[in-house]
Amino acid sequence: MTTVGTRSARGDGPVKVSGSAMYTVDFSLPGMLVGLVLRSPVARGRISRLDVEQARRIPGVWAVITAADAPGHRSGLAIKDQPLFAVGAVTHEGEAIAAVAAESAEAAQAAIDAIELEIEPEDPVVDLDFAASDDAPLVHPDWANFEAVGEDFPRRGNVCAEMLADPAGVDEAFGRASRVVEGEYRAGRQYQAYLEPRGVVAEYRGGRYTVHVSHQFPFNVRDRMAAALGVRPSGIRVIGHHIGGGFGAKLDLGIEVHAAMLARAAGRPVKLVNERTEDLLTCQCREDAIVRLRSAVDAEGRVLARDMDVLLDAGAAATDAPFLASIPLLLAAGPYRVGPTRVRARAVYTNTAPTGAFRGVSGTHLIFALERHIDEIARSLDIDRRELRLNNLKEDGDALLNGQVLEDASILREAFDRVEEVAPWQTLGKGELRGVGMAACVWLTNPMPGSVVLKVNEDGTLGVVTAATENGSGAVSMGISQIAAEELTLPVEAVVVSMPDTDSAPYDAGSQGSRTTHIVGRAIGSAAEVLREQIYEIASGLLEAAPEDLELVDGRVGVKGSPGADVSLAEVARAATAAGKSLAATGSYATPPPRFDPTCATGLLFPVFPTPTYHVHLAEVSVDPVTGRVTVLRYVVAQEVGKVINPAGVVGQVQGGVAQGIGYALYENLEIGRDGRYRQRTLETYRLPLAVDVPNVEVMLLEHPDPAGPFGAKGVAEPPVVPVAAAIANAISDAVGAPINTLPVLPGNVLDALDRANKV
Amino acid sequence: MRTLEFRTVTKVDEALESLSQLGDEAQVLAGGTDVMIQYQRGELHPATLLHIEGVEELQRLEQDGSVTLGALVTHRRVSRTLADRLPALSEACATVGGWQTQEVGTVAGNVCNASPAADTIPPLLIAGAVVDLASGGGTRSIPLEQFVLGRRKTARAPDELVTAIRVEPLPPGAGEVYLKVAPRSAMEVALVGLAVRLQLDQDRVVTDARIATCSVAPVPFRVRGAEEVLVGSRLETDAVAEAADLLRAAADPIDDVRATAAYRLKVLGPLLERAATIVGERAGGATRWS
Amino acid sequence: MELTFTVNGRTVNVDVPGGTTLLDVLRGSLQLTGTKEGCVEGECGACTVLVDGRPVDSCLYAAHAAEGRAITTIEGISTDGELSALQRALVDTGGVQCGFCTPGFVITLTALLEENPTPIEDEVRAAIVGNICRCTGYTQIIDAVMETVEGGR
Repeated sequence: MTTVGTRSARGDGPVKVSGSAMYTVDFSLPGMLVGLVLRSPVARGRISRLDVEQARRIPGVWAVITAADAPGHRSGLAIKDQPLFAVGAVTHEGEAIAAVAAESAEAAQAAIDAIELEIEPEDPVVDLDFAASDDAPLVHPDWANFEAVGEDFPRRGNVCAEMLADPAGVDEAFGRASRVVEGEYRAGRQYQAYLEPRGVVAEYRGGRYTVHVSHQFPFNVRDRMAAALGVRPSGIRVIGHHIGGGFGAKLDLGIEVHAAMLARAAGRPVKLVNERTEDLLTCQCREDAIVRLRSAVDAEGRVLARDMDVLLDAGAAATDAPFLASIPLLLAAGPYRVGPTRVRARAVYTNTAPTGAFRGVSGTHLIFALERHIDEIARSLDIDRRELRLNNLKEDGDALLNGQVLEDASILREAFDRVEEVAPWQTLGKGELRGVGMAACVWLTNPMPGSVVLKVNEDGTLGVVTAATENGSGAVSMGISQIAAEELTLPVEAVVVSMPDTDSAPYDAGSQGSRTTHIVGRAIGSAAEVLREQIYEIASGLLEAAPEDLELVDGRVGVKGSPGADVSLAEVARAATAAGKSLAATGSYATPPPRFDPTCATGLLFPVFPTPTYHVHLAEVSVDPVTGRVTVLRYVVAQEVGKVINPAGVVGQVQGGVAQGIGYALYENLEIGRDGRYRQRTLETYRLPLAVDVPNVEVMLLEHPDPAGPFGAKGVAEPPVVPVAAAIANAISDAVGAPINTLPVLPGNVLDALDRANKV
Repeated sequence: MRTLEFRTVTKVDEALESLSQLGDEAQVLAGGTDVMIQYQRGELHPATLLHIEGVEELQRLEQDGSVTLGALVTHRRVSRTLADRLPALSEACATVGGWQTQEVGTVAGNVCNASPAADTIPPLLIAGAVVDLASGGGTRSIPLEQFVLGRRKTARAPDELVTAIRVEPLPPGAGEVYLKVAPRSAMEVALVGLAVRLQLDQDRVVTDARIATCSVAPVPFRVRGAEEVLVGSRLETDAVAEAADLLRAAADPIDDVRATAAYRLKVLGPLLERAATIVGERAGGATRWS
Repeated sequence: MELTFTVNGRTVNVDVPGGTTLLDVLRGSLQLTGTKEGCVEGECGACTVLVDGRPVDSCLYAAHAAEGRAITTIEGISTDGELSALQRALVDTGGVQCGFCTPGFVITLTALLEENPTPIEDEVRAAIVGNICRCTGYTQIIDAVMETVEGGR
């Protein structure tokens, strides 16, 4: 292989470093208007007055729309519970109430200011335990009328999804256990904080909508918009531009539909871009959660049974929470052998902004809880924390709690060994107020379908037509570009990948769950097989040789064993075109679902972990006893990736994921006030990790090629964020000598823990 | 929407003329790092932005007996040139935002912004800072302690311009430090800020002590009671602990989005102990920190 | 209010209200969209430009304060499509992911290398505290600077 496995420069690098890459916020159309959205200032209340007549009369204002102008039905990913504009009542701060389009930002703002809005505020439902209880007011009193998008699932009142696995033998095992270890773990919300705020440019011409987006999943924009507007999907064209970061937040529908409605109402194109505070307030953040764990253990530290109860804060709409409610079951045992485990997970409506997908969905707080819990088990039994993990590690053929067999789970032990080689456990965390922590997990590669068209252009370059999105990870600009180049023995510079366009590209399920390189790369492999046959067919005429005697070498078609007898791909392409034939082929792929036990749980909407990967993280920290500040001294990752397509790209994903995990663990605090409003509302108080806060992460990549993956590649980008808070919290707890079970671990929490440790 | 006038002046006299004409309708603008944020948030409503960045006279940074910081001396200039003579102020300036902010943001601007968390004020207070003001009617000088009156409130009259801040550099044998408490290592508004300057004699007895703090009250302030306890001591544990108690007693912090009052109070005492240790090592010239 | 300054060597004249930011003039009036708007409060550094060679957050810099000054934006760093050594290194090391912060980093780091052609790692980290990258974890950005420094020796 000449391209796969090399540190090949990313294709979009030059336009990005020179400032010429066009993001949606940079994109304009002639005659474009400025859009603005009026949003609810309160978390819960009844709209007693909404009058937009004054706003409509302001010069330069072309459209003002409200719920009265929107289709009345609701839509959503799992439950149709989201209106386009608040109807009668508001259910969270930042909920859209009206939108305007005007010739200038000033006129748009004047129109917003002229809208007469009165809301009678009500006490918001904020506390998760309370929201889940029978005493809580309903966030959506008419929840029972909301349809599920697919087959319905257990839900009731504020609990918009409940997943329950209740196998036999749990209570019996607790009865005979020598010890029961309990813990309650809490994690706050995390804002994706991509640097390009959400934006869209929309137009409506000839009965069709066209939206320009920087979105991770253009086909979802198409389908969700179609459902929200009640039109057929092909009535909407979604064109993708460069994406200034997404991390999951740009997977679901957002303001795209509002811009489209404004464009239709105004009869002119409309650009709608979030201001930073608006973006933070309305982003589908990583959900806050409470995880309660009880484990029945024997004297050797074997977990005889476990009981796990999880509350996920869905916010005021379910979005993907009904799917996320399955993840606790898939992680509750994780890399370790445990006895029968009861898992109940409830996604709960609150009067807060809807939460949603963020890289490593739910895994960050679940692994935090589970791995903190393991440390607590080890401490209570006075067993070394690493040894306890190794003693209970899964082996090849062990199953997850859904019954899915992990054929290659012994990779976990290899990962622990690799970490030990560079960071010997017994030597770390020594000295006053220093600590070391570990965490491990099994994660998945998203299986959803993708398709591509490969075509040989007349200049001999290879066109890849795809709706796969380059969210920054390199999956398109490195991963699938290099895979396509390798398939046709071309240099990567000869591969031209299209930008996403739902009119011209075949379906792709977007950049989520580390799927792009794995799925689209595999689709490219299938297409390339067909394409090579087409190439050999045409070339056989040019070279006067049988197709089966031909081969591709360095981008030329030659006759096997006859050096010099070859033609360039450009010549073949031109010959094909002249003959009225095409060198173009499609390829598609979706991971077949692994076998699992469908009776293992109810409400299991996301039942399996396809293409599993294995991860071990280690953190060493020091704690400042005066201020409670934590410094991450060292961070080590052993990650199994199948096959490295681009080492710089893979390492960058791991380092970037760890940095987001460090932010989640130590700095990024999104508190919800009793009024249901976020307390941190800008990047000044919502602190992102800086260059001086993140260490040089040591990365070790394990390669166990997946026969189903392109050149063996599995998913890479999502899991590096998952075990970070767990490893760091374990290290801090070790340093201070007291458990820290709440995220983020702020300096004040560390000082409090030190006080607790000193009292003991 | 009324239109905002942007007026650039290149001489102090021009600035004073504008100020006497416009009074509090004018907002003085230097680097703009505070003013432009507040203007865009709608917290300021001036009729005129009076841009003084091009006034050469205000760029002066003079070091004779005292150090004179012209009103346009930036954080970066201080942190790059005064690390020896005003270590605490240099340390504070190096923590005000990032390079981009320090490059154009000025010490005088940080003082005039009068934030409870102003990083430069505690180190200026322990350096006996005096604020020079000019107006059409003449000039006057006010000790910094009497200049900052409250949150976003100073003694500057609407027709006055701060022309310079004069400070006493570190005397021989003295040491000082600025400690800033915040979760991240940069780009932070201080949860607590503490500046300490100590002069020690040959026997390492404290002959002069100055302690000032920010983010624990509406205004950064000197803590004279704590200072008095340290004078005459050899920074013995008891003396420092007593000073820490007085420091805590003098503080009146609030709960806000950045930290709780309880956290701020908890940190203050140990922070003074840390500062005393560092300054003790720096003072006397033997183990000069740089 | 009229305003004249040079941007990337060209003299430009625009007419914008007092109080307009330099960022709005660059991205709006001049359509130089390489300079990004991330937060409009001086936290993220995506809008960093050089004002007379000094790195400044253009979101907090009054446009009229630029009167008569020389502004360099990301569009002025590469000449004739030829990337600077630093830009090339950022592409090669993986120091670019989503790329939205990249123009700001290029500007700040260009200023750093101008001032100090051989920075050590800690100096590089300190220089970029006013630039947030949400993707990379910073290491490969710093690697790029170090490769540039090595290449320049």
